[in-house]
Amino acid sequence: MVLYYQPEHNLCEHAKESIVQSQMYRDVSFAFKVVRGVNMQHTVEHADMVIVGNGIAGLTAAVEARRLAPGARIAIITDQCHPTINTPALKQFAIGKLTQEQLLAYPVGTERARRVRVINARVEEINAHGKYLGLRGGLTFGYGSLLIATGSRPNGLPLHLPGRDFDGVLTLHCLQDYLDLRRRLYGVDSAVVIGGGAHASETVMGLLHHGVDVHWLIRGETFLSQMLDATASSMVLENVRNAGAKIAMKTEVIGIVGRMGSVVGVITNDNKMIPCQLVLVCTGTSPVTTLAQRCTTPMMHGDGIFVDEHSRTNVRDIYAAGDVAARKNPQTGKYETQAQWYAAVLQGRSAAAAMTGQQELTAHSMGVPWHATHLGELLMLTVGNPLHKFAGATILTDRSKKKYCRMIIIGDRLAGYLSIGASQPDGLAIKSIIDEGLSIHRVKKTLLKGKFDARKYLSQWRSEEALDMITSGEIPVVKPVYFLPSVGSDERRAMDFNAYPVTPDQSFPAVAYKSIRILSTCADQPTIHGWEHDVGPSTAGAQFIVPFASAKEVESFLLPLPSRPVARSLWSYSEKMPVVKARISSSQRTEKKQSEKANFLL
Amino acid sequence: MKSVLLHKTAPQIAQELHACIGCNECLLACPAVAEPISIDVLNRETFTGAISAPVARFARSCYQCGACVAPCPVGLHRDAMMMWLKVRLLRSGRGE
Repeated sequence: MVLYYQPEHNLCEHAKESIVQSQMYRDVSFAFKVVRGVNMQHTVEHADMVIVGNGIAGLTAAVEARRLAPGARIAIITDQCHPTINTPALKQFAIGKLTQEQLLAYPVGTERARRVRVINARVEEINAHGKYLGLRGGLTFGYGSLLIATGSRPNGLPLHLPGRDFDGVLTLHCLQDYLDLRRRLYGVDSAVVIGGGAHASETVMGLLHHGVDVHWLIRGETFLSQMLDATASSMVLENVRNAGAKIAMKTEVIGIVGRMGSVVGVITNDNKMIPCQLVLVCTGTSPVTTLAQRCTTPMMHGDGIFVDEHSRTNVRDIYAAGDVAARKNPQTGKYETQAQWYAAVLQGRSAAAAMTGQQELTAHSMGVPWHATHLGELLMLTVGNPLHKFAGATILTDRSKKKYCRMIIIGDRLAGYLSIGASQPDGLAIKSIIDEGLSIHRVKKTLLKGKFDARKYLSQWRSEEALDMITSGEIPVVKPVYFLPSVGSDERRAMDFNAYPVTPDQSFPAVAYKSIRILSTCADQPTIHGWEHDVGPSTAGAQFIVPFASAKEVESFLLPLPSRPVARSLWSYSEKMPVVKARISSSQRTEKKQSEKANFLL
Repeated sequence: MKSVLLHKTAPQIAQELHACIGCNECLLACPAVAEPISIDVLNRETFTGAISAPVARFARSCYQCGACVAPCPVGLHRDAMMMWLKVRLLRSGRGE
């Protein structure tokens, strides 16, 4: 049990002393003093890098930070009662495919082995001026740099929904929820799943795998309307129906019926009652931005804490990564959170590099969003924005009985990809093709047919690139399809990053678009860091400070090229290098003459 | 120029390892795995660090049948990762 001494507690001195002693000997071992008879005065514990949250972004950042800064003091502060786990694998855990130990994301003892101090406490506020955190119980903890990796929380059911507190109504989000589900699952015959996203569909398939009769209620007209078009949505739903689920579209729950405190059914908006023993809520998540709200310096946040390419927030020395961080979508220019495993890992690594001052390792984008999942026999893959209506884009679709593919192409480059079928091409390879702006001219047809051999294509591409570099002596230019205007969109509304709060649509500040703007320039991008104005002489007098080393046009955010001009010949260094001849000393000169003489004589 | 690399490159392997969600489906489908190996240990040892004896035995017994690829929910290629592990074993002189 964790006891914290609260100054307002009316305790005798002896009791205060006991609590203090017990806290000092906990592994947390906060150091503080007690001023007898007045109140408690804390000495501030401190770490060079403090990470709030031990999700995958937090622990990845800690491990990476240790690698990059072997001597730094690193601490993770978390109120979670278990180590970092593979959260996407919780569905497999719920249906008994995995044991609890197999959920561990890192081997047991990783934190200890990497000398990362883990503190079990809840952070209540950030004092950005004093650079310390206020913990629950009145304790404080100082930081050199701070990473907020507090993740997300489930949206759950509406607060005033009748019956939402009945036993058997579970919101699936964390390990405890899935432990609860796993315990109950063996006594359940029928369940209702609420939600219209990938999380809900995977939950439905898991329950069907377990032999449970499932009713799936979706509020919208289509499934996963943000990522799938109507054709793809109907294919997925048909597949789930064939697997045995009963799906009701445009259906909402208006009440939950219970008996003796346990759920027995749900009432829908068309006044039907669906009997069930379990109600599983999968209605999405929202980033936990509480700390951004409780920071002494206003921290820019909306749907997530706004960060730049280096995971920096607008407050000095504070970073954010994982589900809570809202990064700029390179294609739409809007700040969006990516509640995905892969994005969290990359963001954790990027944040660690930035916190340890290794900016060159962070100067790349996370690229476009990527999502892949299995829905029974069907494999679903989306890369980029397959539904986004880019100006000047061509949409190609291919539909057969059990297969559907949709591609958005601009010129000869891919901007979005959606595939549904019994097989799927290499999603990460397609992501690379979009991120690096590779031409798909030769593989357009095979991509559309889903017969794309990504490994072969990328290998050939790299070989040709290498050959070009050798023969031409020029570095290839990377041109991803970024910052494209939408159809019908006029000049974007400017957003003053220095004025807080931000505009509701979180769109990126005004960018002057050309007809098909392939690349953005760094000069287009104002910084979100007001404090950079006083960083150094290079930033003096600038209205907006570019968060990169140079305000010159950068060819790519994904593959930062060397600082030399792109068009310059690879070999020009040797050509233009001034010839420096070392002076020959007098002794060497005589030796040289003697050897020449000897050679002549021979 | 038609040279083709049949297995994935180091950055691609690193990308796949970062994207692994640890669901264990690949190991469940694998006909070659003969002793308990956790996915987190396999992932760590695939790319860097020392290779433990169970993982080394597993890598040697993998015959690249590809049974691990289809069940992966996120479409990763464990076969390519295992190939990388084999290469690391060979480099370390433990590939026998």
